Amino acid sequence: MFRSVAYRSAAYRSGGYCSIVPPYLLRRLAAQQEPGFSGAAEAAQKALLHVKSFQAARAELTLLAVPAARGLKPGAPERTIYDARSLEQLPGSLVRNEGKPPSGDPAADEAYDGLGHTHRLYADAFGRDSIDGKGLPLEATVHYGKRYDNAFWDGRQMVFGDGDGVVFERFTKSLSVIGHELAHGVTQFSGGLNYRNQAGALNESLSDVFGALVEQYAKQQSTAEASWLIGEGLFTDQVQGAALRSMKAPGTAYDDDVLGKDPQPDSMDSYVRTSADNGGVHINSGIPNRAFCLVATALGGNAWDAPAQIWYDTLTGGTLAPNATFGAFAKATVASAKELFGADSKEHDAVRSAWETVKVKL
Amino acid sequence: MKIIVQRSGGVAGMKRTWTVRPEPPEDTDRWQPLIEACPWDDVAGPGEATGQPDRFMYSIRADQRRAVLPERELTGPWRDLVECARAAAEEAGPAEIG
Ligand SMILES: [Zn+2]
Repeated sequence: MFRSVAYRSAAYRSGGYCSIVPPYLLRRLAAQQEPGFSGAAEAAQKALLHVKSFQAARAELTLLAVPAARGLKPGAPERTIYDARSLEQLPGSLVRNEGKPPSGDPAADEAYDGLGHTHRLYADAFGRDSIDGKGLPLEATVHYGKRYDNAFWDGRQMVFGDGDGVVFERFTKSLSVIGHELAHGVTQFSGGLNYRNQAGALNESLSDVFGALVEQYAKQQSTAEASWLIGEGLFTDQVQGAALRSMKAPGTAYDDDVLGKDPQPDSMDSYVRTSADNGGVHINSGIPNRAFCLVATALGGNAWDAPAQIWYDTLTGGTLAPNATFGAFAKATVASAKELFGADSKEHDAVRSAWETVKVKL
Repeated sequence: MKIIVQRSGGVAGMKRTWTVRPEPPEDTDRWQPLIEACPWDDVAGPGEATGQPDRFMYSIRADQRRAVLPERELTGPWRDLVECARAAAEEAGPAEIG
């Protein structure tokens, strides 16, 4: 599909990002020793080492993930924010650490506050001490890369790009996205979910669920008051769209001349089969996202109460296989609801009926 | 000659596609070394290529050759090819989506 909208190419040109092809090609060939390249490779190696040590410690971490049950009290957060200064090297230089006053850099200060809000939700709602359940210091790098349209969790820290300024603003602008990235860490420390196909979509959905909860808890919004949007405020005003995703109505977050329409399905009837995006992990996550929102809506009140307890128990209970399907996850949430609230509870009913609505078989 | 770079994933989960159709002979002569520099036969299949959460996935095609790479493996000649293709495609017109 080729849509002709002028603003994107015009903005790229005026930004000096690219030039006519032949000189650019020559420059690129001459610049193969750019520091960013070796930095990215080094960071990837580091992250791989960390993943290995996480896997070795999995059994122990699963037990430690419920400190409240062990009579421990979550401590205060220990945050450190770094600035990559447009390179792709991690972590970058220190901008602000725990207890220090605002740096004056909006990205760094948004990241610092966002980490605090995230730490607070896990401590208050679940008695969990940080991402690993035992006080892991929280680290984030801002200003990663040039016009980098993304944010990610690299296995040990969060990384935020500034956006290209045409489609995306800086990625720290959205608290739900900060919460989303840290939730990838929680999932990893809870035993992990393979980042592919349905298990990957569950991994993504859990990040959206806990990302939304961080934002709702920080704003003290009830289920009825909340937007249930992920990444609100990330689009520039040139984009026709409210956010990256809608948990309440998947597929409706944006509909833009250039970006196209939000591709998320809202039930198994429209499940998307694709090899892109690790098997559509950011697409089919709409289905379990909506299931969570339906549970919260049925129960009313605040989503960080019963609905979140059920999902958190499912994630950290140690029964979820790394290759879990939607069906296996759904069954696990039903089991958690039954264990926490009883077989005759409204919570148990709400969970069963939510999965029925999104057409996931129990 | 036709070069297609498709980027999927990222926290936004938005698919972007950049297509270049170099004109022979001058343009194709410039692209050929960029394409030949990539180790096409040494990349794992799409089944093996699992990324870190929220990182981009790249599907790269140059005529009959094809490779799927997670973002962290997009280094050296791969990165050069992708960045050149993106720059050339954006110079030629607005980005394709989907
Ligand atoms: Zn994610």
